[in-house]
Amino acid sequence: MDIKKAVSGYHRNLAIVIGALLAVFVLLPVVIKTPYIINIFILVFYISTMSMAWNILGGMTGQNSLGLAAYMGIGAYTVCLVVTKLGWNPWAVSILAMLVTGLIAGVIFFPCFILQGPYFTLVSIAFAESMRQFIINSEFFGRASGVGLPFGEDSLAQFRFTSKVPYYYAGLIMMVVVYIIMKKIDNTKIGFALKTIREDEDAAAAIGINPTKYKVIAVVISAVIAGFVGFFYASYIRYVDPDLMVQAKSTEFVLPAVVGGAAYVEGPLVGGLIMIPLSEFLRANFARVLPGINMIMYAIVLLVVIRFRPSGILGWYMDSDFKKFIDEKILKKPSLDILEEYQMMNYESRKGGK
Amino acid sequence: MDVLLQAIVNGILLGGFYALMGMGQNIIFGVMKIVNFCHGEMLMVGMYLTYMLYTYAGIDPYLALPLVALIMFLLGAGIQHTLITPSLKTKSFTNLLFLTVGLGLLLSNGALVLFGSDYKSIRTSYSQTNIMLGPVSVALPKLISFLVLIVVTIALFSFLKYSTTGKQIRAVSQNPVGAEVCGINVKRIYLLTYGLGIALAGIAGCLLTQFYSIYPTAGASFGFRALIVVVVGGLGSIPGAFFAGILLGLLEQMSALFISPSYSDMIVFITFIVILVVRQLLIMRRR
Amino acid sequence: MSEKPVIEVVGLTKRFKGLTAVNDVSFSVRKGGITGMIGPNGAGKSTTFNMICGYYPPTEKRAYEYTNMKIARTFQIMKPLKNLTVMDNVIASCYFGHAAAKTREEAVERATEVLKFTGLYEKRHVLSKEMGTPDQKRLEMARALATKPEVLFLDENMAGLNPTETAEAIELIRRINQSGVTILLIEHIMQAVVSLCEKVIVLHHGEKIAEGTPEEVMNDPYVMEVYLGTKAEDKEEKEEA
Repeated sequence: MDIKKAVSGYHRNLAIVIGALLAVFVLLPVVIKTPYIINIFILVFYISTMSMAWNILGGMTGQNSLGLAAYMGIGAYTVCLVVTKLGWNPWAVSILAMLVTGLIAGVIFFPCFILQGPYFTLVSIAFAESMRQFIINSEFFGRASGVGLPFGEDSLAQFRFTSKVPYYYAGLIMMVVVYIIMKKIDNTKIGFALKTIREDEDAAAAIGINPTKYKVIAVVISAVIAGFVGFFYASYIRYVDPDLMVQAKSTEFVLPAVVGGAAYVEGPLVGGLIMIPLSEFLRANFARVLPGINMIMYAIVLLVVIRFRPSGILGWYMDSDFKKFIDEKILKKPSLDILEEYQMMNYESRKGGK
Repeated sequence: MDVLLQAIVNGILLGGFYALMGMGQNIIFGVMKIVNFCHGEMLMVGMYLTYMLYTYAGIDPYLALPLVALIMFLLGAGIQHTLITPSLKTKSFTNLLFLTVGLGLLLSNGALVLFGSDYKSIRTSYSQTNIMLGPVSVALPKLISFLVLIVVTIALFSFLKYSTTGKQIRAVSQNPVGAEVCGINVKRIYLLTYGLGIALAGIAGCLLTQFYSIYPTAGASFGFRALIVVVVGGLGSIPGAFFAGILLGLLEQMSALFISPSYSDMIVFITFIVILVVRQLLIMRRR
Repeated sequence: MSEKPVIEVVGLTKRFKGLTAVNDVSFSVRKGGITGMIGPNGAGKSTTFNMICGYYPPTEKRAYEYTNMKIARTFQIMKPLKNLTVMDNVIASCYFGHAAAKTREEAVERATEVLKFTGLYEKRHVLSKEMGTPDQKRLEMARALATKPEVLFLDENMAGLNPTETAEAIELIRRINQSGVTILLIEHIMQAVVSLCEKVIVLHHGEKIAEGTPEEVMNDPYVMEVYLGTKAEDKEEKEEA
């Protein structure tokens, strides 16, 4: 079977490349022991995850939220408060954090779903900012000074370590799992509904998609992921304050997706992997002389990408000869027709087997 | 009673700045349908410009006003020409949104690099002068800025209503394709609009220097309030922006007086959310 | 003809503020047939369409009946999912609609079927925004068909096509109808209406002024006056577009 051979060869090559990439990440802390470098990668992991959470809403559904940091903050606050005040196990609280953020996004935010385009962006900012203001003014949330998590000896049960390496692996797992979820969503019914809504809400309604329902789903998924990242952040930093929820943070979480290519599931990862280390490098080396230099670099890259490569780094890669070279020479990717035929063959044989 | 009156006057004077910012945002949003997320940063740039002119050239802030407006206009037109007009073609709202967000980042961090994060201020011989209007004391610079606001509002309103260019701007905001067909140079109008919007932010920044500290993120809260003004005042309406701005200033001062100063931000935001949702509900019912 | 009509509307009215767009229109659509709706621009055709599809509610109606109707529609102003490939456009429809696919394979299988049927299979990997008008119109139909409708509403599906493309579109619509789908179409191109429709409804100023076979309608003196009188203008407009 020619088709089978070609496709399985391609799949094997793809698996080797992905496996090699993963191996690099898994082995990295073994080779590089500098906490500073490890910290940068932890940043890459959780900011990219936040960026993926934004991407399901902004890139896939076309609803540009600029308030995602607030959900991450709510998640982090839930963890810090419940762990310190009630003494629950942090892992159990992480589920609670996701529930809380999901509920806030799905229930309190619900009336805002009728808003479209720029108005949705405005309401997302206003909603996030009012949550932040509420926390600043609330004794229970520790006002502007925030809430901490108890320190103590290393314990997996408490998700508490003095070394950064366990957080590195946890962050890596978190990013990979969220990526797999996103990839799954992109390829199934929900993904198609969201993309149809992005292109045209009327067209979506005409084929029987309920735009509100799917927008709620997208916002809730994105908030739940943000809530979990909040748990990760709180456990890593062991502290949360309202500054985590400012709009500038929300913007920071969006940039990797826009730079990397918001239309692609991989966009936030590519953007995050390139931008965050660069930004951290600039901050570490020049911040004392030129504060804000890393954000200037960020802004310039953003402007250049939008001006000259509107579909992001990945969008540019997709049309480039470089991709052709990689596909043909390294991955030996068969043509789309062959891939399709292979898929249908599998489907037919499974149908026959039933 | 005097306290209340004082709060009302303060609210109106503060609202003047929101109105000025809102008008600039309003024509940009009205004509190009893009939200200018760097509007607050533009105000900040106007503040630093005034500061530099005052410190290094010894120009009085009020004399600097036309100069600041002109420089800001050119800056806006330049940005429009090099960045926004080419990106309008992609018709991607996301890209345009993050283009202005990126500009905002660039400007505020640029100011951080150039001037540092410390607070700067301009003290002129008259900046501490207070005038008594009945029982209410008003700082002279605030009063002057309010007068400037009224002049600018009337000028802008008549410009849009009666001048040929103003009519062209309104035509483009109604329908860019139709306007192009009628022989209007749409790109030129975009240039003018964005320049004008930024110049208005610059004027607000220039006026603000007399009683507000100058620092890299000084414009942020004004920038978002400008958006509130646009939504509440109605698209393309200059008088709408004027009254919405004043109303917003009043709301802030009143909630600070009657509820708590620390909650006034939150009240503004929640009111805004409610207005957005109710407004959309009304639009949907009318259909 | 004893069979119950698939759509029956009586006294349909729509007012936009002061303007009465559709006034007291009644008609029925036979199951399995092709019914056409013609009339000058602004006669209320699309408004009638939109009401029956549920896009917006009528202001008034006396009776309104569909017998177990599964509708799909196309839009006069095309709404392709611009940044998705042709295949993905159709897959999206397969996942929803009246016989929603459960698995991706099922969706792909049906999308392939529909694409082959509409002649777009060769272009399935093209982004829909990169296709020309004729193919985008075809794609509109393909997306509607993929929802497995019993009734298909086509809103000016041939506007802007050249004679060859029009002939191809007519052929496609006929094949769709032969596969058992009832069709209601709005069309300006009389060639299409005459060769396809078994019944034609003529609207003018929001009112129904005639109903019958294409021949009957074309020979109706009032229709000749209001409709054919403006036809020359319509043609010019089309050429501009």
